[in-house]
Amino acid sequence: MARIELSNIQKKWGAFWGVRDVNIDIADEEFIVFLGPSGCGKTTTMRMIAGLENPSEGEIRMDGEVMNDIDARDRDVAMVFQGYALYPNMSIYENIRFPLRMRGVPKAEQDAAVRRAAELVELTDYLDRKPGALSGGQRQRAALARAIVRQPQVFLMDEPLSNLDAKLRQAMRVQIKHIQRELKITTVYVTHDQIEAMTLADRIVIMQSGAIQQIGTPDEIYNDPANTFVASFIGAPPMNLIEGRLSGGTFEAPGIRVEGLPGAHDGQVTLGVRPEDCRVTAEGAHLGGDVYGVEPTGDVTYLTLKVGESLVEVKADRAYRAALGQGESVRFDPDRIYLFETGSGQRLR
Amino acid sequence: MAAKRKKSRGENLVLRYLILCGWALFCVVPVLWFLSIGLRPRTEIITPTPIYFPTFSLDAWHMIWEDWPMGKYLRNSVAAIFGSVIIDLILAIPAAYSLSRFQYRGREDIGFYILSTRMMAPAIVAVPIFFLFRNLGLLDTIWALMLIYAAINLSFVTWIIRSYMLDIPKELEDAAKTDGAGELRILWEIIIPAILPGIITASVIAMIFAINEFLFTLLIASTPNAYTMSVALANFTGGSDGIIYNAIALVAFLAFLPVFVVVVAIQKHLSRGLTMGAVKG
Repeated sequence: MARIELSNIQKKWGAFWGVRDVNIDIADEEFIVFLGPSGCGKTTTMRMIAGLENPSEGEIRMDGEVMNDIDARDRDVAMVFQGYALYPNMSIYENIRFPLRMRGVPKAEQDAAVRRAAELVELTDYLDRKPGALSGGQRQRAALARAIVRQPQVFLMDEPLSNLDAKLRQAMRVQIKHIQRELKITTVYVTHDQIEAMTLADRIVIMQSGAIQQIGTPDEIYNDPANTFVASFIGAPPMNLIEGRLSGGTFEAPGIRVEGLPGAHDGQVTLGVRPEDCRVTAEGAHLGGDVYGVEPTGDVTYLTLKVGESLVEVKADRAYRAALGQGESVRFDPDRIYLFETGSGQRLR
Repeated sequence: MAAKRKKSRGENLVLRYLILCGWALFCVVPVLWFLSIGLRPRTEIITPTPIYFPTFSLDAWHMIWEDWPMGKYLRNSVAAIFGSVIIDLILAIPAAYSLSRFQYRGREDIGFYILSTRMMAPAIVAVPIFFLFRNLGLLDTIWALMLIYAAINLSFVTWIIRSYMLDIPKELEDAAKTDGAGELRILWEIIIPAILPGIITASVIAMIFAINEFLFTLLIASTPNAYTMSVALANFTGGSDGIIYNAIALVAFLAFLPVFVVVVAIQKHLSRGLTMGAVKG
């Protein structure tokens, strides 16, 4: 229910840049995910939106109104924290009611709102308990209920699922997305988990060292990465990046030869190809190497080939098996080969 | 091999219990000794020959309540001690909150300064404090005792509470802020309930120090008007009756008992509070 604009946001601590030149326009009702490794500035950016941190420079606007000098408690923003941050001395009911009490919601409405929020996250039976008596997943849902209970303008979620086990994480992911769609509340979500980012986001903001690397829909980020950082951060296993020489549209590296590439970038380049865009076949092969490892997972088999000095990952058929050291040839999907400038890592188009 | 290990473990356990029993005895015997002196007639206390089966007597009990205003001393003690602890908490909780939460220049130095007030030998300031309270017209009042006990204990009460506050995740306050709470609300509704064990620990330790305080109490309290239990004890050593050992023993035991009961009751919190202070510094 709010549009958020960040313009030229900088955050410095002494000589250290936490965040630099962040410009994002987050649309109303959008689900945006900040993705990046730890220390990339994604949490700091979120904390600035929350008002828990002040930008050194730049402007934060919500629905056009500048928020820089507005206290966290006066911004209509609800936040879910990595460590849940439930108040240990209060029952779950009191925890969920706390923001309503702080904002002077009439008593008569409080109870109904708490119960509605608890119902939404399926915690109705646990309202009398203290946070200490709940499991990790239940605590996470309680924290979520506390955030949604007052129907804020903006949801902020700081790695809310990272303390949960894989199975629970998936279930909660679906629940979070469902609740966000139902309540239609602008949501900013911080994570270092690319699967979470891909599955939840309307748009992903990829950050590294305090700067935005790329903003785009999950499809754009996956299909059209702006640089090697984005290319290797999205996708599991990550994109293969192979250094070599390009001349006259032909890429060459030890054990690899790819023809028919755009010829404008002759010289040292990095070729990128995703494991899922590789096929084990001798016909029209681009690459030849020795089997270094075979990892069956059930639905696919990961094949690692040693090509020259580097290892190349291939997503092979689930039935694929091979002996170590055996020679193997691979063909890349010619439409899904990326070229990056070696050094800067920027995409060559 | 396994059997042997098991046996040595058993021996170990016996040894451990022996040591613990010895230590317990070492701690408890003086207390029981005091109690036994306090419940004996005066004539039986100082004798050249040991008495194995002493006569039970409530002489001292009657004496301390009937011949001396022990009830008043007890009330003075309680009032001065509780008053001082309340003053300490009122001052220490905001101080600790500030020291543990806000960023400002000199924060660490101020924290250390507060702690360092404890490092000075009390006798150094005894005379100035006497004049200070004389000028304030507070000599011989429990108000003065309250203030002195509070001043003596304020440093470590602040320090213990601070160490508990440092243990509270910052996220909790951030959550409260985004939920719409102001600083005082956060302190009152989130922080204080969360560190209640620390507040109790600090209060009890302050009580123990206060109940044992002698030097300043003697200095300030010149008449029974402001005598506390600890100073009252000294009264039994002078005068025409000589040293009244059984009364001394009984009063000492009575002063010890409430502290003992409280400490046992909150033992778990206490050990945590002390080690936390130690580790976190």
